[in-house]
Amino acid sequence: MARVTFQSLILTLQNFWAERGCLIETPLDLEVGAGTMHPATYLRVLGPEPWNVAYVQPSRRPADGRYGDNPFRLGKHYQFQVILKPSPLEVQELYLDSLRAIGLDLTKHDIRFEEDNWESPTLGAWGVGWQILLDGMEITQFTYFQQAGGIDLAPISAEITYGLERLTMFLSRKDSVFDIEWTAGVGYGPVRHQEEYEFSKYYFETADIDLHWKLLDAYEGEARRCLDANLVLPAYDFTLKCSHVFNTLDARGAISVTERVGVIKRVRDLAVRCAQGYYAAREALGFPLLQGGSTNG
Amino acid sequence: MAEYVFELLTEEIPAWMHDTAAATLTQRLAKLVEETGGDPSSVIVNTTPRRIAFMLGKLKEREEDREIEVKGPPKKAAYDADGKPTQALNGFLKKNNASIEHVVDAGDYITIRRQIAGRGIGEILAAQIPQIIESIRWPKMMRWGKGEHSYIRPIHSVVSLFDGKHVPITIFGVASGTTTAGHRILAPQKIEVTSWNDYVSRLELARVVADPMRRRHVMAERARVLGNEVGGTPSIDASIWSQWQYLTEYPGVVRAEFRRDYLALPDEVLVTVMRVHQKQLPIRDAQGKLTPYFLAVLDNEGDPAGNAAYGNSFVTNARFADAKFFYETDRKRKLSDRFEQLEHLQFQEKLGNYAEKSKRIERIVRDLGGDEDALTAARLCKTDLVTEMVKEFTDLQGQIGGIYAREEGYPEPVWQAIYDQYKPASLDDSLPRTLSGALVSLADRIDTLAGFFSIGAKPTGSKDPFALRRAAQGIVLILLNRDKREVKVGIDRLIDLATSDPQVKADLFAFFAERVKTILEQRFAYDEVAAAMEAGWAASLTDLSDRVEALKSVREDANFLSILDSAKRIANITEGHDGTTVDASQLQHETEKRLNELTTVVGSQIDELITDRRYRPALESFAAMAPELEKFFVDVMVMVEDDAVRRNRMSLLRKIGNAVMKIADVTRIVVDRRDYK
Repeated sequence: MARVTFQSLILTLQNFWAERGCLIETPLDLEVGAGTMHPATYLRVLGPEPWNVAYVQPSRRPADGRYGDNPFRLGKHYQFQVILKPSPLEVQELYLDSLRAIGLDLTKHDIRFEEDNWESPTLGAWGVGWQILLDGMEITQFTYFQQAGGIDLAPISAEITYGLERLTMFLSRKDSVFDIEWTAGVGYGPVRHQEEYEFSKYYFETADIDLHWKLLDAYEGEARRCLDANLVLPAYDFTLKCSHVFNTLDARGAISVTERVGVIKRVRDLAVRCAQGYYAAREALGFPLLQGGSTNG
Repeated sequence: MAEYVFELLTEEIPAWMHDTAAATLTQRLAKLVEETGGDPSSVIVNTTPRRIAFMLGKLKEREEDREIEVKGPPKKAAYDADGKPTQALNGFLKKNNASIEHVVDAGDYITIRRQIAGRGIGEILAAQIPQIIESIRWPKMMRWGKGEHSYIRPIHSVVSLFDGKHVPITIFGVASGTTTAGHRILAPQKIEVTSWNDYVSRLELARVVADPMRRRHVMAERARVLGNEVGGTPSIDASIWSQWQYLTEYPGVVRAEFRRDYLALPDEVLVTVMRVHQKQLPIRDAQGKLTPYFLAVLDNEGDPAGNAAYGNSFVTNARFADAKFFYETDRKRKLSDRFEQLEHLQFQEKLGNYAEKSKRIERIVRDLGGDEDALTAARLCKTDLVTEMVKEFTDLQGQIGGIYAREEGYPEPVWQAIYDQYKPASLDDSLPRTLSGALVSLADRIDTLAGFFSIGAKPTGSKDPFALRRAAQGIVLILLNRDKREVKVGIDRLIDLATSDPQVKADLFAFFAERVKTILEQRFAYDEVAAAMEAGWAASLTDLSDRVEALKSVREDANFLSILDSAKRIANITEGHDGTTVDASQLQHETEKRLNELTTVVGSQIDELITDRRYRPALESFAAMAPELEKFFVDVMVMVEDDAVRRNRMSLLRKIGNAVMKIADVTRIVVDRRDYK
């Protein structure tokens, strides 16, 4: 097996999926907890338009931070996200081919698809699928999206989410995420460790609780204003900001159990309205991608 | 031969769904085979993660021919004046695909009789199989592709063969054929299927073992060998095996190893991570101690490159690293210092936080007479809910608290009571090990029950989201116990300790009656339970169980009929009469005088026996009065005109009847008299 780095893995996956007809998106320029929240997934899975996309998404989960002390856990990790809509029947084979492309001889490994369904209360979304285990280790989440924003989906999208650090660690036989190579000669640790430490410190100890409650109110208000003005995409940006503020407050230990349910509901209400608004807007545009995507959407 | 072979190739079906789906399918297929005159015992259903396959072995090739009669229009309307068939008759014949020669003479209406040739089995299968497969109700369905169909997973191919020949069918738009594919990675080639035996053996060559039981046996044997090699034994665990056999098509097992320093973590944590989170089997040494070795399932023939061993070690070490982090963080803070945090942890919106709940538990334990150890356990029992370990491994709540208490040096009755507070978790589970544990478990559960009942969250039908039935069942099991952990309290008093609301009390009382009944009916007949409960149950469950036991044992005796008949007779004749005071001066007949004397003597004897809880001899004493009672009914008329005399006689009978009513209302026992010949 060729020497695998974090970067070579991204490039291989990107090329692999590009060659199979995927549009290569760029990461969303906002803090999100997962690639699913990128509008290229959450909104594009709605409605009848075909959509095949792949992109890297830095994913921030404040509560998962460990000050850079834990060899396996990160407050920010990178996902490689693929959406195939409608899901092709050979999607599992395509996925296995992507593993072959990164240099795995699958006959010498153990690959299993074990049930793992996905549900996001803040997005009003759920799907059915598996965690994909490579030699017992979860490297990918595979989901057939069934609902987003409370809307039943048809066609169905297949979502493939690779955990890039995990996979690199495993392929390069490193026991700590901070020991993997970003690219030849440059380690992931030197690039990212300081960030892990500082953000753990920030999210767990320093973040201004009052400010974040105010931000939550302000972002929510702005999202509503946008929705009322039929500006769905800006509204969705502000919804995502609310979601991240919520995660921050949660990591900071500032949300009680009762409040938690309430805040989740506030975010979900926004997300659901965004989804409905997006669907209506695409419909009004005549679902541009149905015509092969050559007209302006 | 007449054999039908079917396979549905899908994507990976969740392991836990296979057994139920296979059982349902077997049942439906057996019914189909039986209805078409074949042998239903010949049905074989095999599933793998990606396949649902079956064989119907002894099919009848054709249904029997049948004759049918169909009634049509009235004769009068069937022919016109010229005797020619009318529109009505022609229409009727056309609709039934019949002609005029099928018409038979049968009264005032046109009737046709015709032979229906039995359908060939191929035709029946083609019609029935898709319906049977498509209608399997999976616990969680999904749609895929265009989203037209809903099933457990997307469908890839269908094999449908009758006696080696293709029977074309379509399942959710997928047309059948005669080929399948081997193991996804190891042997993905196409396989032509001609018969069931051929299917099973060719699949096996293509690294797929179709029969789940065979996969399990191969894995079990492999596990034993891999355990032996490191001088240990894999922990036998039925729930792991039943998952493993549906996780792979090839029955492989691999041994891996975690870092030895993690053995310092509590066993419960190690085992939970391996079993619940990783579906791995720990290996224990000859002394039963955990070793750093464990087994994992493997969908491959072996692991010559050591990849699977590496990967499984990697992920388990990662999990343990997390657990160690939580463990070390938790140990920086004593359980007793965590109590305050419970104020911020809500038990239920309307029922306050866990600090309040803990105080209620402590109060109930005190009222139940708990000692200092029990009270300490009660105070600390919920503090593990705010540890990192329980946040991560919620299944271990209680156990983690117990382990931390042990490490903090609390005595056994304290830490074990915390550890065991959720015991018994089921009918088969063991009870808390100590009296203090029993008290904490009782107090916690009665508080939960009273709380939820008071906010109107009683279980209804199959809905019991707060597992209140299980909570009540746990209480009943603890109160039925009579060793050194026996808690001498009745359900009635326990309810009184937890609530003062009369409506809640009444509802709980009825709820417990159901649980007591259900649990006792596992060991005793329903009428024995009903009879004994009628004589009271809420003051002491051990007493109730003694009384049912006595009833069960005398029931086998020949003189039980005397007990039953006497009791019934007394009950009938004294209906609506409550008094038991007999005025000796009013007794006229010699027989009733003697009966009264006997009753006084035997009655006090029965009372004594009842006080000593010697219920069987008590019932026997009652039975011994039967001849005298018999004589009384012959010699003495109860329903006489004279009010005072009548009432006095009824009181005498009541006095006798009541003696036995303290044990059970034996009139509720249903007997078949032939059993007593």
